[in-house]
Amino acid sequence: MSEPLLVCEGLSRSFGGVKAVAGVSLSLTAGMVTALVGPNGAGKTTCFNLITGNLRADAGSALLRGQSIMGLKPHRVARMGVARSFQDLRLFTHMSVRDNVRAATETSAWFWQPGGAAARKAREAAAEEALARTGLTALAEARAIDLAYAERKFLSMARILAARADIWLLDEPASGLDLSSRRRFGELLKEARRQGVAICLIEHNLDVVTELADRIAFLDQGQVLAEGDPQTILRDPKLAAIYFGDREDAA
Amino acid sequence: MIAYFTNLASLGAIFCILAATLNVAVGYAGIFSVAHAVFFGLGAYAGAQVSLLLIPDALVAMVVAALVAGALSLCLALPALRVRGEYFVAASLGLQMMAVTLFSEAKTLTGGIGGLTGIPRPHILGVEVSTLPVALAALALILLATALLMRGSFGRTLQAIRDGESAAEALGKNVAAAKALAVAFACAGAGVAGALFAMHMQFVNVESFNLDQSVLIMAMVIIGGTGTLWGPLVGAVILLSLPAGLAFMPFIPSTEVGAVQQIIYGLAMTLLMVFRPAGLVGDLSRGKSHA
Repeated sequence: MSEPLLVCEGLSRSFGGVKAVAGVSLSLTAGMVTALVGPNGAGKTTCFNLITGNLRADAGSALLRGQSIMGLKPHRVARMGVARSFQDLRLFTHMSVRDNVRAATETSAWFWQPGGAAARKAREAAAEEALARTGLTALAEARAIDLAYAERKFLSMARILAARADIWLLDEPASGLDLSSRRRFGELLKEARRQGVAICLIEHNLDVVTELADRIAFLDQGQVLAEGDPQTILRDPKLAAIYFGDREDAA
Repeated sequence: MIAYFTNLASLGAIFCILAATLNVAVGYAGIFSVAHAVFFGLGAYAGAQVSLLLIPDALVAMVVAALVAGALSLCLALPALRVRGEYFVAASLGLQMMAVTLFSEAKTLTGGIGGLTGIPRPHILGVEVSTLPVALAALALILLATALLMRGSFGRTLQAIRDGESAAEALGKNVAAAKALAVAFACAGAGVAGALFAMHMQFVNVESFNLDQSVLIMAMVIIGGTGTLWGPLVGAVILLSLPAGLAFMPFIPSTEVGAVQQIIYGLAMTLLMVFRPAGLVGDLSRGKSHA
């Protein structure tokens, strides 16, 4: 197995007296899908926020290709190759689908992008490829706000594809998708995995997790309770009891 | 009569610049500032001092005014831009109130409450010119620059920040830098308008740069349509024509024109927000809820 791209050790974060994340260790490897599974409030999204710099960790470390990303601003982490999606999508609602995706290829905040015409062509090509892979080419001129729910989900994925990141942090990307869209989404993820992207997935749909994940980290109350292959984790009756809210059975 | 309309058109062009530049911050970047008149004032005082002390050249005055207003906007806006939404509105309101006091007290630079008088009319290469063509040329340049920037990657970055700041950050965009640039561009434009205003009126004082003026410019942008190139111009023309138009209404006593104007402003804003929340030129679907 290749070396992990991202290694997190002992990540912790409290809000007042509540320990949202308490000593989480996690590693993401190229070409592998890791699923974060756990009941609501387990700290899964907070883990993403700590890795991406949206929240500062109280303790712990996160090394991206051996380099610390702790304390970096979110845009710096993104530029180092970490892309994320949000549970509530956060599309650029009043921009066209194409501009949403183009925006993902442009990172300079200045009046222009560096690299001249060649770089511009490469960015355009990346945007068009992302639109094609997500089946959004025909809707490229529509505004994001006018898309149907599944199309919005795929637009969120198109932005990630266009960003050309090698680590994807996906927050409930398949929730609310019908079977056919879920299949398309699954193909998209499998292709990215083949291309060597390290994917971390927060997902409540256990069918999706079973189909796509190579590894599961089960979180509860801010801690990783168990980690392993999907079959082992999902068949554990104690974890199932916690997941479905029956803590007495789990005890 | 020609002089009256030329004066109105010159002021119209100046306020179109103000509205168009505020629109870059409000409409494209989603930065709601109620302190645009501060940078209008800074440009006016800078332009006036250049004309009074150095050279009454409109181009030099506009460049200096743009640099002063743009640079000071960065110093003042950078800390304020750390906060979002309504907190930034409050911060800009504080800046506006502070600036009025400073303009009144910094007598050496601003002439205090009495203001600066005897400002030379605009000259270009030593020849006196009317304000109107200079203001229209400046407006055209600013609109062209705005259109080019907003159609490019910078415009996409600002609109991305407006629609979803955290998502824009997650895509590698330095939100603070982009916002600061947008504010600097908008305030430099306000500075240009200020220099033109000073040379046109040949007199400036703090009354022209108070909160009422900032609110008026914001109203122009909102009524015309935020995030559109032409909307703020439509808003500026309507709001400037209103008092002039009311003055010609024989059934409104001249002493009541101000009160009637305020009622019409308020009514127009309320009706617009209900029926056309994106303004007269704005996209009809914007501002309405989507199920």
